Amino acid sequence: MTKLFSNMTTQKKLGFLALVLGFFAIFAGSPYDNSKITINAKDLALMAQKDADNISVQQLADWIIKDNFDFRIIDTRSSKEYAVYHIPMAQNIPLSELLDQNFYPTDKLILYSDNSEKATQGWLLLKAKKFQNVYILKNGLNEWKDKILFPKMPTKPNPDQLTEFNKIKEVSKFFGGTPQTGKTGEQSQPQVKQLPKLKMPAALPEGAPRKRRKEGC
Amino acid sequence: MSAPFFKFGLFGNEVSLIVAFIIGIGFGFFLERAGFGSARKLAAQFYFRDMAVFKVMFTAIITAMLGLFYFSWLGWVDLSLVYLTPTFIWADLAGGLILGIGFVIGGYCPGTSGVACATGKMDGYVFVLGLFFGIFAFGEAFPWIAGFFNAAPMGQITLPQLLDIPYGVLVFFVVLIALGGFLLAEKIEKYFAQKDAGKAL
Repeated sequence: MTKLFSNMTTQKKLGFLALVLGFFAIFAGSPYDNSKITINAKDLALMAQKDADNISVQQLADWIIKDNFDFRIIDTRSSKEYAVYHIPMAQNIPLSELLDQNFYPTDKLILYSDNSEKATQGWLLLKAKKFQNVYILKNGLNEWKDKILFPKMPTKPNPDQLTEFNKIKEVSKFFGGTPQTGKTGEQSQPQVKQLPKLKMPAALPEGAPRKRRKEGC
Repeated sequence: MSAPFFKFGLFGNEVSLIVAFIIGIGFGFFLERAGFGSARKLAAQFYFRDMAVFKVMFTAIITAMLGLFYFSWLGWVDLSLVYLTPTFIWADLAGGLILGIGFVIGGYCPGTSGVACATGKMDGYVFVLGLFFGIFAFGEAFPWIAGFFNAAPMGQITLPQLLDIPYGVLVFFVVLIALGGFLLAEKIEKYFAQKDAGKAL
């Protein structure tokens, strides 16, 4: 066999090599991974138009506090941004890796980014891959910061607004935020918008948040 | 890091032009070394006297095909990201026919005419002039032929998708076709060489 091979001309050797490689290609499987998807454009356009897949930051905060956890929060930003701050319970999956994840078809996924942009792109990818329960955190982390972490008290609040703000204040404190009350008299320290320490509500304190929330209602 | 490097963002548009330039030079160099800068050599193909074009082209096809197939199998290249020219069946057929006719008349294909130019062949220059005229005429006439051009779009389709057979099986078949073609080409060359020798006597 080896003698036969060494007696071949270079062309024949190369041809033989091609034949062998070609033969084993039959058993090598498809070279394409599963990243190609087909989409029903009309279906997607209709879903996008309805805005039904948007979730407000208040809604999400409420769910986290109530420990109502049948969903996964996904931070689509870069790992660097994720390391600086992320919403408690969120896991970091940048857009390019979103399709490599083995989500279950029944998983409820809530995507967020700084604004709605990247989350919406991710939503499109996952919807196109036939995941039904994909949601977008409306206006993303920016709104989370504005409304949850650093809520601002109206300058001249009427009683309704005041109760509303006091409720939000509790929510904000739960997430380690700094409500912007505007009062500077009693505490002279300025209300710095400092992002809460990351580890903060990694595990929800049992009982406490629910109780606090109930008071608010 | 796996290929295609451009899509994975290893380099940008400017560098990609330099990469294209280097690859182009390499492509031209090997075409020239294969003797494809000469219209005589290329035209001999159509008279079955020299099947080098067929052999070189099919060798390139199966080398690239096996390379891409196994590279992607090893995870070195993501084939799904490699750009494929979309197929428009009628426009492609017409274009292929025009290219073939031009090849027979002029003795070059677009690539080899560039090689002929680089080595200073006068017919190569004429051919390239014709090529640019053709591009210009196509561009100017495009509004009138746009309907035909865009007819029957099939997207970025490959043979395994079209024939609905596994990729590996198609790879094997193409290798078989190439090897069979090489044997046949050698036989044809020998046959015509003998025939020519008989005439010469």
